[in-house]
Amino acid sequence: MPKCTINGKEIEVKEGTTIIEAMYSNDQKIAHYCWHPGLSVAGVCRLCMCEIEGNPRLQIACNTVITEGMKVNNTSEKVRDAAKWGLDFHLINHPLDCPICDQAGECGLQDQYMEFGKYDPEMAERKQKKHKVVDLGPTVVLDSERCILCSRCVRFTDEVTKTSELGIFNRGDKSEIGTHDGKPLDNKYSLNTVDICPVGALTSKDFRFRQRVWYLKDQETVCNGCSTGCNVKAYFNKEGFYRVKPQHNAEVNGYWMCDEGRDVYKYVNREARWLKAQKRTSAGWEEMLPGAAAKDASSVVKANASGTALVLTGQYSSEEYESVLKTFTQELGTKKVFHWVNNSSSFDSFDGLLLRGDRNPNTKGLLTAMEKFGLPASKWADLEAGLANGSITTVVVAGPENQVWFPEMKQVIQTLSKAKNLIWMQTGKNAELESLSGNVWLIPMKSYVEKDGTFVNYKGLAQKFKKVTTVVSEALNLSEAAQLLAGQNLMIKPETSVLVETARPADRVMQEHRKKNEFVMKRGTL
Amino acid sequence: MSETKLLSEHYDKDEFIGLAGYKKHGGYEVLAKALKMQPQQIIDEVKASGLRGRGGAGFSTGTKWSFLPKNNEPRYLLCNADEGEPGTFKDRLMMERAPHQLIEGMIISSFAIGSKKSYIYVRGEYHYPIAVLEKAIREAYDAGLLGKNILGSGFDHDMDVYSGAGAYICGEETGMISSLEGLKGQPKLKPPFPAVQGYLRKPTIVNNVETLAAVVPIIKDGAAAYRKFGTEKSAGTKFFSLSGNVNKPGNYEVPLAYPMKDMIYKLGGGIRNGKKLKAVIPGGSSAPVLTAEEAEKVLLDYESIAAAGSMLGSGAIIVLDDSQCMVDCLANLTHFYHHESCGQCTPCREGTGWVDKIVHSILSGRGRLQDIDLLLKVADNMKGRTICALSDAAALPVISFVTKFRDEFEYYVREGRSKVKGTVLYAEMHH
Amino acid sequence: MSVAQRENELQKWYLPGILGGLGITMKHMVKNLLNKKKMITLNYPEEKYEYSPRFKGNHVLTVKKDGSLRCTACMLCATNCPAECISITASEHEDPTVEKYPIKYEIDILRCVFCGYCEEACPVDAVRMGPEWQTPGLSGANFKYNIEHLAYRPQLKGGIQSVLDDEERHKAGI
Repeated sequence: MPKCTINGKEIEVKEGTTIIEAMYSNDQKIAHYCWHPGLSVAGVCRLCMCEIEGNPRLQIACNTVITEGMKVNNTSEKVRDAAKWGLDFHLINHPLDCPICDQAGECGLQDQYMEFGKYDPEMAERKQKKHKVVDLGPTVVLDSERCILCSRCVRFTDEVTKTSELGIFNRGDKSEIGTHDGKPLDNKYSLNTVDICPVGALTSKDFRFRQRVWYLKDQETVCNGCSTGCNVKAYFNKEGFYRVKPQHNAEVNGYWMCDEGRDVYKYVNREARWLKAQKRTSAGWEEMLPGAAAKDASSVVKANASGTALVLTGQYSSEEYESVLKTFTQELGTKKVFHWVNNSSSFDSFDGLLLRGDRNPNTKGLLTAMEKFGLPASKWADLEAGLANGSITTVVVAGPENQVWFPEMKQVIQTLSKAKNLIWMQTGKNAELESLSGNVWLIPMKSYVEKDGTFVNYKGLAQKFKKVTTVVSEALNLSEAAQLLAGQNLMIKPETSVLVETARPADRVMQEHRKKNEFVMKRGTL
Repeated sequence: MSETKLLSEHYDKDEFIGLAGYKKHGGYEVLAKALKMQPQQIIDEVKASGLRGRGGAGFSTGTKWSFLPKNNEPRYLLCNADEGEPGTFKDRLMMERAPHQLIEGMIISSFAIGSKKSYIYVRGEYHYPIAVLEKAIREAYDAGLLGKNILGSGFDHDMDVYSGAGAYICGEETGMISSLEGLKGQPKLKPPFPAVQGYLRKPTIVNNVETLAAVVPIIKDGAAAYRKFGTEKSAGTKFFSLSGNVNKPGNYEVPLAYPMKDMIYKLGGGIRNGKKLKAVIPGGSSAPVLTAEEAEKVLLDYESIAAAGSMLGSGAIIVLDDSQCMVDCLANLTHFYHHESCGQCTPCREGTGWVDKIVHSILSGRGRLQDIDLLLKVADNMKGRTICALSDAAALPVISFVTKFRDEFEYYVREGRSKVKGTVLYAEMHH
Repeated sequence: MSVAQRENELQKWYLPGILGGLGITMKHMVKNLLNKKKMITLNYPEEKYEYSPRFKGNHVLTVKKDGSLRCTACMLCATNCPAECISITASEHEDPTVEKYPIKYEIDILRCVFCGYCEEACPVDAVRMGPEWQTPGLSGANFKYNIEHLAYRPQLKGGIQSVLDDEERHKAGI
């Protein structure tokens, strides 16, 4: 464990720690672009210069390993000057089109120039012209003029996805990022390149031009796209959700997330959601408030509790499972609980990085809860048999949030619609359900961003998440729906949920300020 | 004083190119001697000879070899024949006139460091030297001087020629290693140094053509005999590529600490057309320029030139007479470095372009007085901030030209035309 | 309100004041009848007052030489607007040299406070406050000005061109 002095502060670090890592973990400020904790060291931006006692040349902090007794300083005039000029070199050929650049507001160049910049541009020559709006692939667009050639994206495709689609072509100030002939940037993790791009050179086709980032609020949550449970930040405003970005968690997802997980926000926006409950009787469809519909359906559930089957998907939180199973097994007294396994052909697959075939955030939580209530691992065939021989007359379904990963949705609806009464609880619209005949209740549920809870991921790690915002205000969560279905009234309980613990002190401060409704100026993180 | 032909004794004979002719003049006898020695003995001998890298940096060759880790890992010897430094053409002569001398030197060096494979990385434009080397290597294989069990010593060695694709940066040792690995020719971050992790992440030694060839006379006559030439710190002989406005440009092999004045006026036959000496770039285009007074006093060895504020570099002496416009000369150099920067590190990628644009705007008559100080500031901030030395190489000439010939730059900016030539030398920027 | 009452009954008629006032009125009436040009009042709405061209009235979106919008949809005006009355939707342009352009640019003129911050925030002189100040309308929807109204309303005669054009800026390397 070597000891060193950084800016006069003595610290002890692990063997093999670089100066920049030590500075970051000790809240010291240092300018940098090309260094990223999840990637190899490139050492090309030359901004993280620091002075090491006994070395006349400035050294880069990202490639210098701390040795015993090292005295490092990055606040001296010499180092500041180096950073100033380093930033100026970055900017001389940068178009400075911040007003029309999507990165503005969370841009590394803006942030670091404000902090370390020279504020006295001396470039009077013409800027280098490069390619604009280069289509790199199905998800990403490149603006070469804005690119500062930090090579983060190139290293990402080389080291993390190992697909190596990107490279730097040409040399000198004509260098440009590009793809090799005929091979677009098309992998399941391509949008991470947009996240790690410190400037607006790489932009996501999905998010491009849709919002200025300063109109968005963000909140940490857990992705419900698959059983990995990546930690993410959801970006939203009063009009809805706009994007999802990964949040570092060394135990779960590191710095990355998959492209499919980034599409999840689309299923929580109003246009994809049921806003009101619907009830179908022989008289036709009738629109109701969700709570009223659930209360209404309780009559059929209670009329034949033993003939009621509960179908659960792995898309709800552990707390909800616990509550719904308690209500059904103990109060209603039915043991007919079935686990709907979606895309069963690839359920156990894994792409080697993050994405798992089990496209539910909480399969593990569901199975644990079922075990706890002494429910046998019921077979789907039993449900079908029960429907055929009439022992099951009412089916209550806790349907999926992300319907796109339930390819067998149509068949399941066909099967379950054989029941006399079908109570289907779900977040999003579904044309198939809305065209059913018979006794049907369609009850809108809260999506994962509208409730607090816990997801247990594939390896049994329980992750708490906190409500982000409200999109459909009348929607119910599964616990509430279960109570109403059992004929009880909803009790408003005091809030007992736990805040999501965040690792970074800066975010905790943000949360405190948010609670007090104070405005805080916040820098983007590189 | 005339030349001291330690290496180039037989360069004038055509037969010296072939194996038979080379052997006639004592070729490969040193190899036989060396193979009977202990590898460490050879390293010690080279260290004792005071041989310093002839490629430009002037680092002690024996010391460099002893940086290799002492284990059985495979290791490589790379010969740097990517002679890209403007003004340098000595390696070309050596490869064309004495390919076997280089091959012999390389086999001895490989034996010393325990390398079983070596490459000669020749710059892409050198078509003829590549052909000569390839033929010579074939001859050496046929004669059992390369391949398995060389001269019955049990030492195996393979050698290959690799052609570059014409990038100055591939003359930098880690850039060359990248290129040889099939990657884009860009310098690698140090540490790790090539002697620890180089070609294919194995320990690698990179030496210049002249350095490796000089191993032959050192092993032949011993370190003491080699030390008879030159000074204590700069021992031996060195090739100098004399070019520019002299009557007899060409390669001259002289002992180190040879006076620059003699080089220009005796060996070089004086300044062409009876003009006067104005400036000398003593060590290839990257070396700071020396004024006529400085140049006439200086001796050609590593220490003396460093004391005069420049560097010996690759030994390319570019002589400028008083009809040369220094702004124009600098524009030539900045254009070269702008074109050759690999684009990896920001200060070099952007700085070389910026400096080039400023110099060209002065040259086209659009310069501003503050541009002269700006040139110095930009160059100063490019220096020592990058992975490799190209940025320094681009900055040093700028600083020396502007400080030593500031009056010419100021005249050009004020009058909008060259002080020497009287006209605008550059119509409009071609960017 | 308290008014000092005169004691005297006759004084309560306030005759000198009334007659004096009527006198001024008559004087002006006669003046106006004799010299209509010097008349101070206007017969609105038949006659309208000409304000200075720098009057900050209704917004105008300027156009380029080819008649397309100058606006780049950077949303700085919307960000700066204290009344939050500007709403913009940006979209990708077919021309790769144009980064983005607005497919919707709406100003809710009833919310607008005519502060002129949008004009000041605009980096490309795309939005200006014009000299128009009359904003009659029969329904609320008429006060949501869209691109068609802001840039191409008949009064603007094909749109107001900004002096510096993008092509020139591009050539000048700005």
